[in-house]
Amino acid sequence: MTEYITRMGDGRTVTMTREQIYEDAMAGMADGADAAQVPSLSDEDIEQIVDIICNKNRIVAVERGHEVILTEDGGPHKFMLDSGSCCNGVEMGRIDVMETIERGIGFDTFELTTTDYSIKPVKPIVGPEMTAMQQAAMRLTVPCLYGAMPNMGLYYSPDGAHLNPADLMREFRIEEAQQNAEAAAEQLTRDIVYVSESMMSAGADGFNFDNTASAGDAEFVATLRGVEQLRKDYPGAYITMGMAAENVLGIHGEIEYDGQIVAGLYPNDQVKLCEKAGANIFGAVVNTNTSRSFAWNVARAATIVKDCVKNSNIPVHANMGMGVCGVPMLETPPIDCVTRASKIMAEVACVDGI
Amino acid sequence: MSYEAERKELSDAMVGCKVPAIQAAVNKAHDNGMPATEIINAMSAGMTEVGTLFERGRLFLPHVLSAAAGMKSAMDILGPELAANSEAASSRGTVVMGTVEGDVHDIGKSICSTMLQCAGFDVHDLGRDVPSQNFIDEVKGGCNYCGMSALMTTTMVVMKDIIETMKAEGIRDKVVVMVGGAPVTQAYCDKIGADIYGESASETTEKAKARA
Repeated sequence: MTEYITRMGDGRTVTMTREQIYEDAMAGMADGADAAQVPSLSDEDIEQIVDIICNKNRIVAVERGHEVILTEDGGPHKFMLDSGSCCNGVEMGRIDVMETIERGIGFDTFELTTTDYSIKPVKPIVGPEMTAMQQAAMRLTVPCLYGAMPNMGLYYSPDGAHLNPADLMREFRIEEAQQNAEAAAEQLTRDIVYVSESMMSAGADGFNFDNTASAGDAEFVATLRGVEQLRKDYPGAYITMGMAAENVLGIHGEIEYDGQIVAGLYPNDQVKLCEKAGANIFGAVVNTNTSRSFAWNVARAATIVKDCVKNSNIPVHANMGMGVCGVPMLETPPIDCVTRASKIMAEVACVDGI
Repeated sequence: MSYEAERKELSDAMVGCKVPAIQAAVNKAHDNGMPATEIINAMSAGMTEVGTLFERGRLFLPHVLSAAAGMKSAMDILGPELAANSEAASSRGTVVMGTVEGDVHDIGKSICSTMLQCAGFDVHDLGRDVPSQNFIDEVKGGCNYCGMSALMTTTMVVMKDIIETMKAEGIRDKVVVMVGGAPVTQAYCDKIGADIYGESASETTEKAKARA
């Protein structure tokens, strides 16, 4: 029986028969449909996923006409930094990197970021960052955003003024934990408005909120409120919101946006709130399970993202980084899986961008 | 007696996450003659379900803590009977938990600490960016589980260094080493010689319970 080279969620190479790949894809789809409470994929969708995984070529591409927009998060530092085994380690200035990526690699948008890549650390250096933003906006042709993670963890002790809700919860101080999360969220919203509007005034075409809700539901609400204000003050801003995980962690549990409890929401419901707040693009995330196969993970991701796209009035861009949307959890994500997952997202989940 | 009805009522009350309902179910089961150890086991099964529902986004952290508070109050109600059975009354083990040095991400580790605490472990959560020596000191001080978390590929290597130090100091065999965090995998766990890899907080807790 023919065996195909594929991978596990941790990037290990394995061989599987077409039947095994089909079975795993079906199981992943069922898990995704149950987790996000969304419809299953059609038989044709599953067959298409299996065909793409079993393609003998090392890398695959979309068919003509299925090309999608390429947006970016993380900024120029992925090109400049060198962690020893990932990033490019090229010693260049930030704006030089941005030009290189625009003209040499062909992204459709790009963003300026700091190494900290979080809202809070930008506050004390907002002046120099605005100068850099002006320069970048003048030199780039593609939409040039400023990017940062809301990263509400920085507002809790020991980094911030508020007690850590997770620590308080362990001591059964539930109400106090919720109060601290709400107070931190208010501070984060103020900072989001300050930083994003400073960058818009310096010529940014928009703002990318990456890794949203990494600290849970209160962070999601804080970011939505910040986006809402940014949209009011800059109606033409190009706002993207990418998520941190497939469901919003219920650390607070009861905090609401526009009358809806946000804890536990999956992409198909997250996108509705992002749209309501004023985002232009939603970045969907589905977690990769490292103990399951690529087939299981990518079919699960396609199931969840497809329903999100169907329910969205704004473009949905699947986050195709390390350990999300079917891409294995490996420092340098393997190109065979990255291209297959991307093709599946474009042709089966019908995303607007990646 | 099988106490099937009581077992179901206890498990349902745990998943309901309301302390008064949990206390009522415990009192009813106790009045009906269900042994204290069986009551605690039924509640533990409910707590496992609570953990799964939290990961699915169907229950939230305050719910998990309410269920844990209900379990804590059950321990008070059943205290005298449990005291007679020292095995049931004692902790499952003492865990030192922390995010390794150089890494400031702690939300996943904190959730895991909470789940372990809810499962009956004594948890010493050292927080984040924890100096490696502090893990060693806690193990020397009596912790028989050591949970290390990392969210970055650049910091996960610290886990290996700590395990090597444990070996060098002759304490490796006294402790169950657990590793987790986004970039950590079963293969990495095996490679560095850790004992437990947790894909999620509830999986880690289940594996820790299995070794208790």
